[in-house]
Amino acid sequence: MRGKLFFKIFGTYLVIAVLAIGIIGLLAVSQIREKLDRQIEAELFAYARIVDLYSMKEIEQRAEQIAKITRARVTVVDRDGTVIAETDRDLLDMGSHFDRPEIQEARVRGRGTATRYSQTVGEEMKYVALPFRKGDQIVGYIRLARPLVEVRRGIEEFTGILLRSSLVILILSILVAFFFSRRLTSPIRQMEQFTEKLRRGEDPGTLLIRSSDEIGVLAENINFIVGELHERIGALQEEKAKVEAAFSSAMDGVLLLGNDGKIETVNQGMRNMIGESFGNILDKTPLEAFRNLDLQKALDQYRATGQPVFHEITFGEEPHTVFDVAITPVRGVEGSEGKAMLVFHDVTRLKKLERVRADFVANVTHEIKTPLTAILGFVETLQEGAIEDKATARRFLTPITRHAERLNRLVEDLLTISNIELGEMRFYFESVALSGAVEGAVNIIQLKAKEKNIRLNRQVPEELPRIRADRDRLSQVLLNVLDNAVKFTPEGGSVTLTAEPATGNEVVVRIEDTGIGVPRDEISRLGERFYRVDKTRSRELGGTGLGLSIVKHLMQAHRGRMEIESQLGRGTTVSLYFPLSGEPVS
Amino acid sequence: MEEEIKRTSQHYEMELQSVKQNLLYLGALTEHAIENVLISLLDRKSELARAVIDGDAEIDKLDTEIEDQCIRLLALRQPIARDLRFITTGIKINGHLERIGDMAVNIAERVLSLNEEPQLKPYIDLPRMAEIAREMIRGSIDAFVREDCQLANRIRRMDATIDTLNEQIFRELLTFMLEDARTIRRALLIMQISKNLERIADHAKGIADMVVYMVTGINVRHQWPGDTPDEICDIKRVEE
Repeated sequence: MRGKLFFKIFGTYLVIAVLAIGIIGLLAVSQIREKLDRQIEAELFAYARIVDLYSMKEIEQRAEQIAKITRARVTVVDRDGTVIAETDRDLLDMGSHFDRPEIQEARVRGRGTATRYSQTVGEEMKYVALPFRKGDQIVGYIRLARPLVEVRRGIEEFTGILLRSSLVILILSILVAFFFSRRLTSPIRQMEQFTEKLRRGEDPGTLLIRSSDEIGVLAENINFIVGELHERIGALQEEKAKVEAAFSSAMDGVLLLGNDGKIETVNQGMRNMIGESFGNILDKTPLEAFRNLDLQKALDQYRATGQPVFHEITFGEEPHTVFDVAITPVRGVEGSEGKAMLVFHDVTRLKKLERVRADFVANVTHEIKTPLTAILGFVETLQEGAIEDKATARRFLTPITRHAERLNRLVEDLLTISNIELGEMRFYFESVALSGAVEGAVNIIQLKAKEKNIRLNRQVPEELPRIRADRDRLSQVLLNVLDNAVKFTPEGGSVTLTAEPATGNEVVVRIEDTGIGVPRDEISRLGERFYRVDKTRSRELGGTGLGLSIVKHLMQAHRGRMEIESQLGRGTTVSLYFPLSGEPVS
Repeated sequence: MEEEIKRTSQHYEMELQSVKQNLLYLGALTEHAIENVLISLLDRKSELARAVIDGDAEIDKLDTEIEDQCIRLLALRQPIARDLRFITTGIKINGHLERIGDMAVNIAERVLSLNEEPQLKPYIDLPRMAEIAREMIRGSIDAFVREDCQLANRIRRMDATIDTLNEQIFRELLTFMLEDARTIRRALLIMQISKNLERIADHAKGIADMVVYMVTGINVRHQWPGDTPDEICDIKRVEE
């Protein structure tokens, strides 16, 4: 397929060739015609002058002869134009020739010529006339006429040659024009296809045009520009991908507000945070999208001051999500005037921790205050005179001691926990045989169990692998758990301690009781400080609310763990997983 | 000339948007007031109740502003069709929201009195009522913003639950009063709170009614919500 440009150039060449041939031909033909014409005229005049030397009579007599020599028709007319002699006899009685232009011209100027179509001969004729003079008097005219057949033939012949050579020239120029146009347009065509590919976004490769002229330079320039373009697009895309990756993978939620105050962009983090509950928030104002008064007030403040605003905002129904929201203007990007960026940082967990800490302080205060109040109460009573009554005074000492002991226990437990948490507790890990540690703990608890008539069973196989533990802490853990088990098991129940190897290089110690159990949804909270399932009862039993919390922390320090299973009213099983020491059983 | 028309219509569009944003803000304010008044009742925090009473000034100010805006739009722009319905609906919703604000103040005042005396009984139905009322306001404003007729219709039906709860509270308090005359003052205060919450729910239903009207062009204000089929929302008003 050849483009328009090709036909334009090709056509132009052709038109120029045809015009050149045509103009040259026309000019040549008219030149030749004129030259031939003039030549015949001169020849006829020359003959006429020679004939003119004869007398009229002689001419009359020799007209035939003259005609033959001059190859012309000879006419002699007298002064009035009456034909006196004529080589063509048929035309003798033609009447007066006086009004013929050549005769008139001869009469006036001494010589006359005329070219006209002769009806009689059916040919263009050239007429030449000269006057006869006798002295100054014109007595007649001699006229020679020759048909212009020769001229016509000459021209026809010439035109024939001209046409033939024109045809050859034309064919040659068509060929030349074709090749030349193609040479000119094919690189342009190539460039056109190249840029078209570029426009469609395909990879156009490289333009291969070897030429030293302007087209070659143009192709080189295009190659250069395309290369540059690719590089820049690549760089931009990379940059964009980086920014997008950062934007979308950020944990924090990011919102971009447009000039009109509507949400323009939301990142994935934001979507994850707010979930589906707000529907499509794009192209809405934050008020429309979230309907949050605090957020709106923060935005109003930002709009009023133009300064960055940081605000804590609570979102949604219970359980609330708390966000730290930073509203800042978007700067340094063209066309971003009036835009704002909102960054949502989820601080729900932090808030929760803050509350846990506040709760802890409140709990500790409460736990300390109860025994203190009791002690102070007894002391006051004693001060107000009860001390005089020996029996009462002695009776009061017991509860005072009990409460003081409880305070002491509490403080000790708190110290233990805080030491573990601060990492200040020293652990001396060694290879420990579990059976020995269990023996010691069970012996201590045995007394308490007997008081409540609780059977204390234990099954610790002798061949159990040794574990890695701190001896003192291990017995503290066992004591705490056993103590709990006995405490929460009603009279006549049983507490069973079993130990066995567990998968994953561990030994598990299970302490199972037939106690009151724990509701399912509260099991997970058992390790929390001061968490009690039944508050009053636990305190009656002398607990500090820290026992299991200590166990949990100690197990973590041992790189082990504690698991609790329980059925309300049926009993509880606490499983303690210890890592093996790796030493063989002695 | 054409440029001028374009600019004018842009400005007009902005004014409509501004009415919408202001209504949303008013909705958020009233919602917030109810939330606070509930917390002040449950946690016996009198300072929150006082904050609600003080906050009513802002609601009133916004109410006047929105009304002025709407009237100016009506007078100067002579809106037709959809815009006209939006503005008239806006005026009505504005009125409803302002009344809800006033009722929150009424409740706050009762809460202040209640907080001066020991709690009569643990509140169970009252928080539920307040929660439903709040949900209704939120939902009806949501429906208004999204032009969501289905949601509006759903909100309208929630009113029945509130009425039931109100009656339930009335009966319960009646027994308290019959048993012990000393509880009458507190019981009456609680009853007034309950009544106000019931009225708030009515206003929220009123907003939802207007949304249904705005979307479909059908007036359902005096129709029992149970009688309004959801199919009503499929009828889209033929724009004149």
